[in-house]
Amino acid sequence: MIRLLWLQIRVIAALTLRETRMTFGTSHVGYLWAIIQPLVSISFLVFLFYLIGRQSPYGTSLALFFATAILTLECYNKLSVSLMRAFTSNKSLLTYPMIKETDTLFARLLLIACTFIVINVLFYGGLIVLGLASLPAHPEKIVMAFLGTCALGFGIGTLNAILYQRSQAWQHVEKIFARPLFFLSGVFYIPSLLPPEAVAILRWNPILHLVEWTREGYFANYQSEVLSVGYPLAVAAVLMLAGLFWERISRKQRV
Amino acid sequence: MIHFETVTKIYNAKNVRKLILDGVTFTFEDKHNIAIMGHNGAGKSTLMRMLAGIELPTSGRVRRDEKVSWPMGFSAGFNGTMTGVENTRFVARIYGEDTETVLAQVQSFAELGESLALPISTYSSGMKARLAFGLSLAINFDCYLIDEITAVGDHRFKKKSEAALKDKIHDSRVIMISHSEKTIRDYCDSGILLYDAKLYFYDDLGALISDYRKFC
Repeated sequence: MIRLLWLQIRVIAALTLRETRMTFGTSHVGYLWAIIQPLVSISFLVFLFYLIGRQSPYGTSLALFFATAILTLECYNKLSVSLMRAFTSNKSLLTYPMIKETDTLFARLLLIACTFIVINVLFYGGLIVLGLASLPAHPEKIVMAFLGTCALGFGIGTLNAILYQRSQAWQHVEKIFARPLFFLSGVFYIPSLLPPEAVAILRWNPILHLVEWTREGYFANYQSEVLSVGYPLAVAAVLMLAGLFWERISRKQRV
Repeated sequence: MIHFETVTKIYNAKNVRKLILDGVTFTFEDKHNIAIMGHNGAGKSTLMRMLAGIELPTSGRVRRDEKVSWPMGFSAGFNGTMTGVENTRFVARIYGEDTETVLAQVQSFAELGESLALPISTYSSGMKARLAFGLSLAINFDCYLIDEITAVGDHRFKKKSEAALKDKIHDSRVIMISHSEKTIRDYCDSGILLYDAKLYFYDDLGALISDYRKFC
């Protein structure tokens, strides 16, 4: 039992190291791009809104308000898209009997989660240093929301991986669902201030809850009317179980 | 040993159903160097992939209590964008071997020199095969699976590989697919004929080869 656990840890660690190399080339600094890329694109977006002259819907810092939503959304998107190709781009790995397809999912989850921890620390840290944000009021809520985001991304990503392996057309369908998330996840507005009809629809989006959760963690007095903590966690758990279960029962047909 | 328990394997490719193993119960006993023979398309490579644990049986179980290699002879499993060194380290890691020891052994055996630091995509097929062979020797398996020994590299390297493999057989054993009588007699002491989705075991290589000629 302990031997098997050790094997599992060894395999996932080796795969994670391999993923960092594969995605970002062979140079040692290549991995830095994994951090720089989203950091720059988020900063650019924030800067763009700043130029348009938008006021922050909540608090004084526009950058902070956007960051709480965009960092959450980006982490989810990254997981969902990168896990989608985990099975198809790692076919050659199945030469080694101890590597199961699910291990490639876990490795990507680990890599992306770690990357986003670094991104979060750098981005929020940067804002604090620049005086654009204060220290978070309830860090534990931010951590929970982050873990929820990873779980949700992993659940969706696992389902994506299976569907994409069945038909490559799935990537286009997935895009149709993923695109509107930018508008549905409370990036530019406070969901609690929307008319109740809109809230009734938007609250089906688990990512909105995670964004609200993050904001409650960051701002001392942010009271979300929308947030129900159990909802995104339940969705994540169901998707994860469904994904892993489907992977297991369809393994013989796929491999 | 590797034990097959009522293993059935069916392939479905483009609506063509192909029966490869039909409820086979068989034990690949320790200490036997076993040759696998059968006509083209009988499913020898699939059988080997099931021995390795890469492919799952359609029904039944495969149990193994020894450290079995991946099927040697094809160099799949390398990542083209990673260097030879990185690929070597990766394989060493997943098998729980010390990365630098394995690397040193691969370096001295595969004779790739500076090329080991280049991405695999720049390798010729000969270089890839040398790396794959060196790597599988550097990791100590109990059982080596060999799918058709192909001529790797020049004459000198071939001799070196043969010597290394024969040396390995002292502590480990091989299960190999081959059509060549000479190779089989060189390495094996017993054999299996895969015929009509069943396995037939032969203690005597002469009988195996004569049956192979008769049926396949």
